[in-house]
Amino acid sequence: MKMNKRKNFGITAYIILLMLPIYWLLNMSFKTNQEILGQLTLFPHDFTLANYATIFTDPSWYSGYINSMIYVSMNVVITLLVALPAAYAFSRYKFVGDKHLFFWLLSNRMAPPAVFLLPFFQLYSSIGLFDTHIAVALAHCLFNVPLAVWILEGFISGVPKEYDEMAYIDGYSFPKFFVKIFIPMIRSGIGVAAFFAFMFSWVELLLARTLTSVDAQPIGAIMTRTMGASGIDWGVLSAAGVLTILPGLLVVWFVRNHIATGFALGRV
Amino acid sequence: MLKNKKYPKALMLSMAVSAASLGLSLGAYADQYSDAAKKWVSEEFETSTLSQAEQLKEMAWFTEAAEQFRGMEINVVSETIATHEYESNVLAKAFAEITGIKVTHNLIQEGDVIEKLQTQMQSGRNIYDAYVNDSDLVGTHWRYGKVVSISDMMAGDGKSVTNPMLDLDDFIGLDFTTAPDGKIYQLPDQQFANLYWFRADWFEREDLRKQFKDIYGYELGVPVNWSAYEDIAEFFTVSVKEIDGQHVYGHMDYGKKDPSLGWRFTDAWFSMAGAGDKGLPNGMPVDEWGIRVEECHPVGSSVTRGGATNGPAAVYATEKYVDWLRKYAPPEAQGMTFSEAGPVPAQGNIAQQIFWYTAFTSSMTEKGLPVVNEDGTPKWRMAPSPHGPYWEEGMKLGYQDVGSWTFLDSTPKKRRLAAWLYAQFTVAKTVSLEKTLVGLTPIRESDINSQAMTDAAPMLGGLVEFYRSPDRVNWSPTGTNVPDYPKLAQLWWQYIAQAASGERTPQQALDGLAEAQDKVMMRLERASVMATCGPKLNEPREASYWFNQPGAPKAKIANEKPQGETVPYKDLLKRWEGARKE
Repeated sequence: MKMNKRKNFGITAYIILLMLPIYWLLNMSFKTNQEILGQLTLFPHDFTLANYATIFTDPSWYSGYINSMIYVSMNVVITLLVALPAAYAFSRYKFVGDKHLFFWLLSNRMAPPAVFLLPFFQLYSSIGLFDTHIAVALAHCLFNVPLAVWILEGFISGVPKEYDEMAYIDGYSFPKFFVKIFIPMIRSGIGVAAFFAFMFSWVELLLARTLTSVDAQPIGAIMTRTMGASGIDWGVLSAAGVLTILPGLLVVWFVRNHIATGFALGRV
Repeated sequence: MLKNKKYPKALMLSMAVSAASLGLSLGAYADQYSDAAKKWVSEEFETSTLSQAEQLKEMAWFTEAAEQFRGMEINVVSETIATHEYESNVLAKAFAEITGIKVTHNLIQEGDVIEKLQTQMQSGRNIYDAYVNDSDLVGTHWRYGKVVSISDMMAGDGKSVTNPMLDLDDFIGLDFTTAPDGKIYQLPDQQFANLYWFRADWFEREDLRKQFKDIYGYELGVPVNWSAYEDIAEFFTVSVKEIDGQHVYGHMDYGKKDPSLGWRFTDAWFSMAGAGDKGLPNGMPVDEWGIRVEECHPVGSSVTRGGATNGPAAVYATEKYVDWLRKYAPPEAQGMTFSEAGPVPAQGNIAQQIFWYTAFTSSMTEKGLPVVNEDGTPKWRMAPSPHGPYWEEGMKLGYQDVGSWTFLDSTPKKRRLAAWLYAQFTVAKTVSLEKTLVGLTPIRESDINSQAMTDAAPMLGGLVEFYRSPDRVNWSPTGTNVPDYPKLAQLWWQYIAQAASGERTPQQALDGLAEAQDKVMMRLERASVMATCGPKLNEPREASYWFNQPGAPKAKIANEKPQGETVPYKDLLKRWEGARKE
């Protein structure tokens, strides 16, 4: 009993510590700039929704969220479509240089995104992809595909090869087997891979900002406009910050069950 | 063969119908644009230095000039201040309705604007069709040859789309955007200055005035020199301490290791101390960055190469910055950035600030603030900044930020010219007074002298009076001595921070800075990337050689704290008013 109490206390303290910055962000998003700068208040004394109204009524603000969501979704779909067959191949077949290739894939992630900035910019501008959603989605694939392949390979190797053979004997064609039998068996892995792809793409700013100007501008780039020569618009910046947390929360909510099993089974 | 006798008739009829409908649609188009112009002129651009008829004439010119670009979509970008917000939300929309050219006026942080501009300059790929870029980069643009000069455009491919009512002579910031080759490289779009800010209500209080005179022997007033500023700072922080039950400070600044610490210095700090040479808008041959130029080539910034970045005046200025921040500013100022420190005086416990941007004017006149009276008039005033002991008559005295339209040669011609039209629209006399009243960043002499500005003056704490004064010309942006603004400006905050934190002495920090600047310029020289007037560094020689030459770098003077000097704010206004009438 005593132990439990102490444990509860520890967990509560830990959660409070974790939640404090988020509470503060939320708190600031409902305050006027005058209150934020003028005094220290634990909750909004002069409650306002004006900061959110600024974002929701100005297309140049909310289009940033739409742009980010579009390229992030594209990225997750492309990553999974590419990584699933690749991971299957790495797990099931032996070919010359497979181990080297597998490691090389991951080494892509070891270079910081900034290294790829200029080549990507040059490439995309010359083929007319600059300032498009697909440009950012593809650029993020460079980092997400290797990670997804590694995660999925772990899951796939966890499924005995006998399943593949049994399905074959039962008369399943390969595509049918893959979609109907195999994918459901590794769905936790897919959930985890999708989650990581989403998270990387959602928070990555450097590439997303450099490869866009107007039509595919990410929310992170738009948020910088709260900083001007006449100070920072803290209220709107906080409201924008709160709104950027929400999609992440939703995704975590949907994959929460898979993630627990996912982490246990996979290599991550 | 059956002849269709009706054919010619049908043809004639259909031709007539189509001609009529074409005429109608052209007429309808013309109506649509002129209706839009009428609507905008009568509903939004009511306050203007032009009559309504002149405004409509100007708008009709825009409609006509834009005909060849109708249906185009162009993208321009600028930093975020109230003026650009107005352009992005109101002017871009008006322009689209009046001309048929759709403009996306994107707003991002200033650092990001420069990053995009550099990316486009270096890669030659079009990102934005026009940029509003501070004229501090004029030396960069002129040297690299990647910017289309406004003068060339107006005389060349943009001749037919240059507004005959543009009236370039009316712009107050044109000197700042003109390179030594005599060409205008950028078109000013908004301007704000960096001035002295003080609590006029406290400075008027008899008890405080008496107390000050008893201690320092002269009147409390607007400081003319740094000695007086220092005395007043000490007076409020050390002697007064408390006013109406509130703890007060005689100085405010910021000291966090952050890029904004660099602006604090590159903008004007050394020029105020008097580190550079005489000359307006910027010192020649040595400017306020301490960079010496010989026959248009930058030759060095270290004293040993004839520069003044680490000269005695610069060291003095840095020492004062560090001392005052420690002794007289609120303790938290040391850990603040530009944007965090900016709103602090509005909270009502700061008596004066030597380095204050007029961009904060509107946020400091909001009702309910401790620095605003019941009737909405400010309790504070702005005035010319005091100068340091090295300063001499004929030198610049502060900074002016001049955000200006900039066009790159890598933008396709048609898009560039459409953007040129939009740029002219945002500064056209039809709209510029209304824009000035919203953003308080005047660019035209005619707007400054307008009745509307006279009416607004009591609410603006001296902004209008300053812009109408002859002193205005002493406030200028970075000039043409700086060969690559982005590369050199980023060095400053890192070295200044060493002095601010006490890690190194001001002399050591500035020696490091001067050397780093020379290294960058040496690299630029070796790479010969500049189309014209690139750096050609002097060989280092004894510092004494340079100190014995006239002008900057100046040798250390014996008394760096002469007698403090102040002037009553009212006398200052009177002098300005008198000078205006002459």
